[in-house]
Amino acid sequence: MIGIDALTKDFGEGPVVDAVSLSVPQGAFLVLVGPSGCGKSTMLRMLAGLEKPTSGTITFGDVKVSDGESGWTIAPSRRDTGLVFQSYALWPHMTVAGNVDWPLKVAGLDKAERSTRVAEVLGLLGIEQLARRYPNEISGGQQQRVAIARMIAPKPKIMLFDEPLSNLDAKLRVEMRSELMRVHRATGATSVYVTHDQVEAMTMASHVAVLNRGRIQQFGTPRDLVADPATAFVATFVGTPPANLIEVEPAQDGIAFAGEILPASFPLDGPAQAMFLPETLRVSREAGPRTIALEFAEASPVAGRVMVTGARAGLRLTAVVDDVPGFMPGDTLYFAIPEVPAALFSVDGERLA
Amino acid sequence: MTFSGTIARVRAGQLPQGLVLKLVVLALLGVLVAAPLMRIVLETLAPDAIGAWTDVIASRLSRNLLWVPLSNTLILGFGTAVICVAAGGFLAWLVVMTDVPFRRTIAVMATLPFMIPGFATALAWTTLFRNNRLGGQSGFLESLGLTIPDWLSWGIVPSLVVLSAHYYSLAFAIIAAALASINSDLVEAAQMAGARRARILSGIVLPVALPALLSAGALSFAEAVSNFAIPAILGLPVRMQTMATRLYGLIEIGQSGRGFVIAILLIAVSAFFLWLGMRVINGRRTFATITGKGGRAKRMPLGAARWPLFAFAAAICSTTTIIPVLVLIISSLSTSSSQLFSSWTLHYWLGASNPDFAQGQAGIVHNPFILDAIGTTVTLGLVVAVTGTIVGLLVAYTLARYRTGLASGAIEQLSFVPLLLPGIGFAAAYIALFGTPIGPFPALYGTLTLLVIAATASLIPFAVQSGRAVIQQVSGDLEESARLTGAGFLRRLAAITVPLAARGIVAGALLIFVKIMRELALVVVLFTPATPVLAVLAYRYASEGFAQFANAIAVVILAISALATILANILQNRSQPWLKS
Ligand SMILES: Nc1ncnc2c1ncn2[C@@H]1O[C@H](COP(=O)(O)OP(=O)(O)OP(=O)(O)O)[C@@H](O)[C@H]1O
Ligand SMILES: [Mg+2]
Repeated sequence: MIGIDALTKDFGEGPVVDAVSLSVPQGAFLVLVGPSGCGKSTMLRMLAGLEKPTSGTITFGDVKVSDGESGWTIAPSRRDTGLVFQSYALWPHMTVAGNVDWPLKVAGLDKAERSTRVAEVLGLLGIEQLARRYPNEISGGQQQRVAIARMIAPKPKIMLFDEPLSNLDAKLRVEMRSELMRVHRATGATSVYVTHDQVEAMTMASHVAVLNRGRIQQFGTPRDLVADPATAFVATFVGTPPANLIEVEPAQDGIAFAGEILPASFPLDGPAQAMFLPETLRVSREAGPRTIALEFAEASPVAGRVMVTGARAGLRLTAVVDDVPGFMPGDTLYFAIPEVPAALFSVDGERLA
Repeated sequence: MTFSGTIARVRAGQLPQGLVLKLVVLALLGVLVAAPLMRIVLETLAPDAIGAWTDVIASRLSRNLLWVPLSNTLILGFGTAVICVAAGGFLAWLVVMTDVPFRRTIAVMATLPFMIPGFATALAWTTLFRNNRLGGQSGFLESLGLTIPDWLSWGIVPSLVVLSAHYYSLAFAIIAAALASINSDLVEAAQMAGARRARILSGIVLPVALPALLSAGALSFAEAVSNFAIPAILGLPVRMQTMATRLYGLIEIGQSGRGFVIAILLIAVSAFFLWLGMRVINGRRTFATITGKGGRAKRMPLGAARWPLFAFAAAICSTTTIIPVLVLIISSLSTSSSQLFSSWTLHYWLGASNPDFAQGQAGIVHNPFILDAIGTTVTLGLVVAVTGTIVGLLVAYTLARYRTGLASGAIEQLSFVPLLLPGIGFAAAYIALFGTPIGPFPALYGTLTLLVIAATASLIPFAVQSGRAVIQQVSGDLEESARLTGAGFLRRLAAITVPLAARGIVAGALLIFVKIMRELALVVVLFTPATPVLAVLAYRYASEGFAQFANAIAVVILAISALATILANILQNRSQPWLKS
């Protein structure tokens, strides 16, 4: 449904989106993740038609909507897309209801139709009681929901979301997440969704694209990304908690794990980074054959299990375990390292094995 | 609760100092602001004076006393408001939202006209456009052989043009600030909704900018109806009266009762519109922009219209800044307005008295009246700079220290009132209060003291604003953190308070000085030959036909105030380098 080919955007100081190619089918939920400033909003804006690509093309279905080489773009209004702006972009002189209503009015719907639709989406997002307020009279989280309501009201074929839930509290965020998924499935629209939140990315996405400095690091399903990250960057960016990376190096009688020599258990030619998933690490108070001693840093419960972090200069490991005896800050913990890493990356982040 | 907070509270509990201070400040503001206003109202209500109301509002005279001046005033007010909003809005749009070339230069130029005193621009207009209807020197354009119709030389049209040329920079500043806060996402969201350009303009951009447009309009209106200098120079010679000139005339011929009534009505008209404007910006739908993160400013490409629009903007800016100043300078160096470029002389600056020239008036450096006036004006400016700064700091400090309570509320309101008052109306109130002896105090009318008091009072809102900026810099965390280090009071004063405050205080005082230098409306009513002030002298010279002297004095005022402004800006920027980013 959405096809992006060699898409590049340059504002004049080097590419901000750099030769991005991917495609997702009708009804897909594509999530873009990546650190701040990596070009996510710029991608969305090109999909919306607000920004012209420097080169590369975008196609919706069979229709080419943007072509960088020839400078051809279809106007935002004729793409049947909706965008939730990162800044919300609520019109301050219209009430909440007015904000949702205006795009419908522009689309030429009659009054009765409009008011039922407005009531419907406001109800869907749980903000019907705010209908008569002005945007400066409601909270940031409420503004965000108004922005979503305004976007979905005209039922666009492609829904673009720029961090739509970032201002909500944790509980509301979970609720809104499922609400958005329901809207997405009910309309059959294709969605592109930008977020910083790993959990959101992993739970909502049918496809995930990890961006860094304008380039795609990896594109695939959430499961692929966690189980089989293509680069060290992806490994540390996805999953909750993210995977551990340990610098490893061949040593005389084994392998040095961040300086600690352990028996060699996998082939290693030179310095590299080994990835271990948090749930494969074990923690105990006693030293074992394959343990690294760290100082206890923090522990927090997750889904009936406990996430434990230990640290020392230059190394920080996180394990997810069933149970931990009460550690105090300053206690020494022994993290047991599995024999074989889940993945091996070169020093500059390329996947080796 | 913080340690120092506790100390402050304990101390406040022990000494009823706060109350004393509040009462002192309140009494001060009462005398300076409330008393004259109450006095002028009471004066017109006294049994032997109440007839002035009927005279003005409902008598055979009221057409000339009130209705004609009122309608002229309203025409000028509305006309100026419309032109200012259009011109200021256009420039603001160009500077803030488009990719017009030299945006910064235009932005700076558009704020300059307000720095040039209004009477200077009016003098420049007469130098160019004056025709021979009234005899005397003819203007430059007529001397080139053009016929200048009366409506272009005198009366409503030139007043309107010059008022607009003077005040559009206010509208520009307000509208530009508002536009800068409009996120381009708002427009893009409307594009996404499928709206066309015209629909976006009428449905989104205009409504969002509307409060700023209205308040800019209200402010220009209030300024225009209060202005005395411009209609006096361009309208009075052909008997076009506004409320302000009528008020001046009545006081001048000793009909102060009627004058006071006009003053009250003028204050009412101007204050009403200002109040309306403020209501609009403080109302429910004020559009302090709503934004999460990531809002961006995208400039509208003007394409082929870029340079033509730039040329248009440059024309507006230069005809309202550079040209009037040049005209004044050149004219003060020529023998007459009709020979701006052919016959130059330094007589008006350096010449000794010579019966062939200007009826024997000597050039500025030899002219005792002018030298005297320069001395008086600079003295007045300096004294008011000091008194105004002291009052401003006192009020600002009181308000910062004691934020709540009835007295603080009253102080806050009172210190804001002079902003609503036309200078000339305020001056009339001062005559009402101090024109006759009060108890043991002699009548102050005609003394420099009265000028000082009135000028100080009229500048209170401005002085309080600068005072607040200073207090904000000094007080609070900075001082408290110094206190926590254990530094003694004197040490803190020398190391923290003085360095932080000094430049701000001096800058604020300089700006007060500048305002006094250019003030005409307030002083023209309080003026007597014993207190000659430069601006009034320029006005007198102009009305008596000595255009070159008037222009030369305007140049002197311009030069002094430009220097002081530049100095103040340097001090202000230097004083807060950490605010720049
Ligand atoms: N109009 C523009 N002109 C110049 N540079 C721009 C423009 N818009 C964005 N950029 C630059 O492009 C880069 C990517 O910006 P973008 O807004 O797409 O980041 P993002 O991934 O959305 O970041 P965040 O997560 O913080 O929202 C940034 O370095 C930004 O400074
Ligand atoms: Mg972004």
